[in-house]
Amino acid sequence: MTVGGDFDLVVVGAGHAGCEAAGAAARMGARVAVVTLHKRTIAQMPCNPAMGGIGKGHLLAEVDALGGFQGWAADRAGIQFKTLNVSRGPAVWGPRAQCDKARYSEIMRRVLSGLPRLTIVEGEVIGLLSDDGAVVGVRLADGRRFRARSTILTTGTFLGGVLHSGDERRPGGRFGERPSIGLGAELVGLGLVLRRFKTGTPPRLKRSSLDFDRLEVQHGDREPRPFSWRSSSVRNRISCWLTRTPERVQTIIEENIHRSPLFSGAIEGVGPRYCPSIEDKVVRFPHHREHTVFLEPEGLATESVYVNGLSTSLPHDVQEAVVHAVPGLEAAEFLRHGYAVEYDMVAPGQVGMDLGCRDVPGLALAGQVLGTSGYEEAAALGFLAGANAVLRGRGEDLFHPAREDSYLGVLVDDLVNRDHVEPYRMFTSRAEHRLLLGVDSARERLMGQGVRLGLVRPAAFHVEQNRWNARSRAKAMLEGMNLNPDRATREAVVQACGIEFTSPATWAQLLRRQDVDLDRAGRNIPELSSLNDEDRRIVVGSLRYEGYLDRHRREIERVRRLRRVKLPGDLDPGAIPGLSREVVEQLERHRPVTLADAERLPGMTPAATAILAGRLARGGADS
Amino acid sequence: MEMASSSGLSSALVGGADTIVARSSPAGRGGLALIRVSGRETRALAAAVIPELDMDRGWRASLVELRSSGGERIDRAVAIPYRNPRSYTGEDMLEVMVHGSPWIIRATIEAFVAAGARRAGPGEFTRRAVANGKLDLVQAEAVNELISAETAWQARVARAQIDGRLSREFAELQATLVDLLAEIEGALDFAQHDIPFDVESAEKRRRRALNQIGALLATASRGRRIRDGVRVVIVGPPNSGKSTLFNLLVGQERAIVSPHPGTTRDVVEAELEVAGVRLILKDTAGLGATSDPVEREGVRRAMGAAADADAVLLLWPADGARDAVPAAAENQPTLRVRSKWDLAGAEEVPPGWTVVSCRTGEGVGGLRDALSRMVEAEVADLGGEIAIAERHRRGLEVAAAELEGADFALPEVGAEAVRGALEAVRELTGEVGTEDLLDRIFSEFCIGK
Repeated sequence: MTVGGDFDLVVVGAGHAGCEAAGAAARMGARVAVVTLHKRTIAQMPCNPAMGGIGKGHLLAEVDALGGFQGWAADRAGIQFKTLNVSRGPAVWGPRAQCDKARYSEIMRRVLSGLPRLTIVEGEVIGLLSDDGAVVGVRLADGRRFRARSTILTTGTFLGGVLHSGDERRPGGRFGERPSIGLGAELVGLGLVLRRFKTGTPPRLKRSSLDFDRLEVQHGDREPRPFSWRSSSVRNRISCWLTRTPERVQTIIEENIHRSPLFSGAIEGVGPRYCPSIEDKVVRFPHHREHTVFLEPEGLATESVYVNGLSTSLPHDVQEAVVHAVPGLEAAEFLRHGYAVEYDMVAPGQVGMDLGCRDVPGLALAGQVLGTSGYEEAAALGFLAGANAVLRGRGEDLFHPAREDSYLGVLVDDLVNRDHVEPYRMFTSRAEHRLLLGVDSARERLMGQGVRLGLVRPAAFHVEQNRWNARSRAKAMLEGMNLNPDRATREAVVQACGIEFTSPATWAQLLRRQDVDLDRAGRNIPELSSLNDEDRRIVVGSLRYEGYLDRHRREIERVRRLRRVKLPGDLDPGAIPGLSREVVEQLERHRPVTLADAERLPGMTPAATAILAGRLARGGADS
Repeated sequence: MEMASSSGLSSALVGGADTIVARSSPAGRGGLALIRVSGRETRALAAAVIPELDMDRGWRASLVELRSSGGERIDRAVAIPYRNPRSYTGEDMLEVMVHGSPWIIRATIEAFVAAGARRAGPGEFTRRAVANGKLDLVQAEAVNELISAETAWQARVARAQIDGRLSREFAELQATLVDLLAEIEGALDFAQHDIPFDVESAEKRRRRALNQIGALLATASRGRRIRDGVRVVIVGPPNSGKSTLFNLLVGQERAIVSPHPGTTRDVVEAELEVAGVRLILKDTAGLGATSDPVEREGVRRAMGAAADADAVLLLWPADGARDAVPAAAENQPTLRVRSKWDLAGAEEVPPGWTVVSCRTGEGVGGLRDALSRMVEAEVADLGGEIAIAERHRRGLEVAAAELEGADFALPEVGAEAVRGALEAVRELTGEVGTEDLLDRIFSEFCIGK
């Protein structure tokens, strides 16, 4: 036996989940080994060249507030920054950036390499070391063994991966990379249930072959903002382009649909509904005559352009016919064709809120292997798994974000306590208390936790703290300042923000009105003009949420009360009279930790919650 | 039948043993009594009390011997086993029909208790049916209404509700709200995919939801009329024969009758069933100027009763001047009646009036028919069998208020309002809600339901 070494933590895979897991754990003081097939594929962006967006941007902001790397790396690799939903309130702003893929990967590689206590190992993990049912490390193809108290699998789409392009079908984890075959079987051997998922990626085209005269230019924000509290500024370096599929594309696809592995039955895995392939879109929305296509450069030094909106696994000749039918892409050269990948994922109901496998001590999972999709979801899970591995090792309380406090909480709770039929992507509509969980409040909500984990400098925390304190002061003053509709005041208000008012009101009430000129108000009302532009928009935006915020807070209070009621680990739901079979089954399958978790299970009625509460109130007198 | 007190209900239900037993037929002596057992241990309990019963012969009646825990014979009875989930509660169940002797009933229940059953709390069988998804909350509410239905219409509305008619209406409303929410959420979460927020389409869905709510709310008054009765008030000048007519319609001497004007001072009520509907008939003091303070109060009460009424019987005696008819009821359907028609002489029946003589009995049949038509029109005004109850009205009004206040200019705020409306509707069907709500609903139930 070749001994590779003894570690606190082994992370298998160095994608977005693996990087955050290893990075957080090493910075928290653990000795970490990251095993990756190749150093050059660390933190690859195998699909779209963008970070963030709506929902995903929320996760990214939260991981950043906790001290994770992703936002900071995206700031440095970003080449075009754009916040989505800016015309709406701050809760749904979605910061997004096009990134230079090669640079992103290089930055992460440099960061990880520079961390003391972190070792990057090139090799293929082919099995797990186990001791009395617990996982105690990994075995590599070259015979090396790495022992560790905790092992985190972040293997993405590599477990049993199969790539599809038309009728071509070959084993693969990603384009040009071999899949992992043996590891999946070992997981099954440990009693874990695997399911088959599918995802896809569009073609890449050569930039110099595009006809820019026929494409619409898409610029970034005029004042681009960085994701991270660690970055002071960012700038736009490129533009993207937009075009639309003509009606002819519909005909081309319809005539060739039998050659698509999605429709011929060759692909059995379930793909994400929200990220459909062009053949899916044509079949499901035949009345949509055109579909928008975004052309996104994959970097500054590369010719490669990502064709967002044309994800496909049709045969190569059909892909070419489709692309060449699109205005501006008539002469486009393919650098790579689109393909679909089918892979095994571990049904996430088998892990707990700390992402550790419930029935396999020492083993945790994060990222796409747990059924998510997207770099941001992966990073968020990786961060949590890494931090919790360290906390568990120290015997400290684990970090269990609650869904009423963060999108991280929503993510983990949804994954662990719900059944999933497709890869999970974050949306703001998944959060019950969305108005309180905006990107604007991520630092206020989570930076303190980042400090406690030792991943955020207290000084940086104080800088941010001053910002949110200034915002609350401004808000309180606007709410407390009464204006009487006398002539002088009314004239002053018209001057300040262009609106008339006739009955006494506070500034806060006036600023909630639709007809108020916010730019002018920002300049003219001293409480606002003292803030920077972003803070000003946050303050005014949150004024408009008033009323609904109180509703959220009351509901959160109620949920927190339920969350304090812990369900005993040896609870036997089948022995509780009055629970329906469906509820018993849900409770057995998901094993909720608190009454608040139980309440959210599908099929859980108020009556069932009450019965459960009653049983717990009796303090398990039966056992 | 004991009525439950609402307090402590949930703890009684939650805390007890698994299998419950209760008499489901009313207290008092009858020919037969029905005893129900439900729960996981039903099979074991049956084996103890009715050793010869074959629980696998489900949904069939057998003639069996019941025995006490001491082996003493209790009764020869008919027993029907039910296997889950095909039973009222969705659990294993047993129904036993014993002779109506109070001792036999007591001994039978005690035999099951001795074998390990717990006496059921009020509404517990139905509550289990809800817990096991056999009924939703709206259907369960109607079970109690059906049990206490006294008129054909009460039974019809309750039956339709148990069959899920109202639940389906709520489900359709929910579907509209979910579509609306999906439209808003789609625009918020997919902004980068160029999906614009179509405010006009959202407005259309909002109107559709509000129309659905409006149609349901419109059945509230009908629901009240069917459940509580249609209130019909007899008004008219003093000594126009109101009390005489009242007694005639009610079929007994409820109101004091005298030849003196102003005999009736307070409002006198009686219930009768007309056209399958409960009708609350009210006799009132004669409307006229008076100096007697008691009589004046009587007139005030008469006016009040008329204003609250669903319909008015306006009496005007044949010997009174027609041009002085008071406009007592402008907003309610009014049946105009010329009373004392035997005194009318050669006068022709005025158009739009019904004539009656309580002395000769002339026109009483016609008046009953007219009353019947009016009452039918009052409850069948929407043609259907759906009639929401007070709890539903409150929930729907909350939902309507949320929707009215939804501001689509800021879609994430509009979404909160739509979610609020959706929550209100879900609370109606019992998908979300608090234990208090369930306690309130089930506290109306009797033991054994």
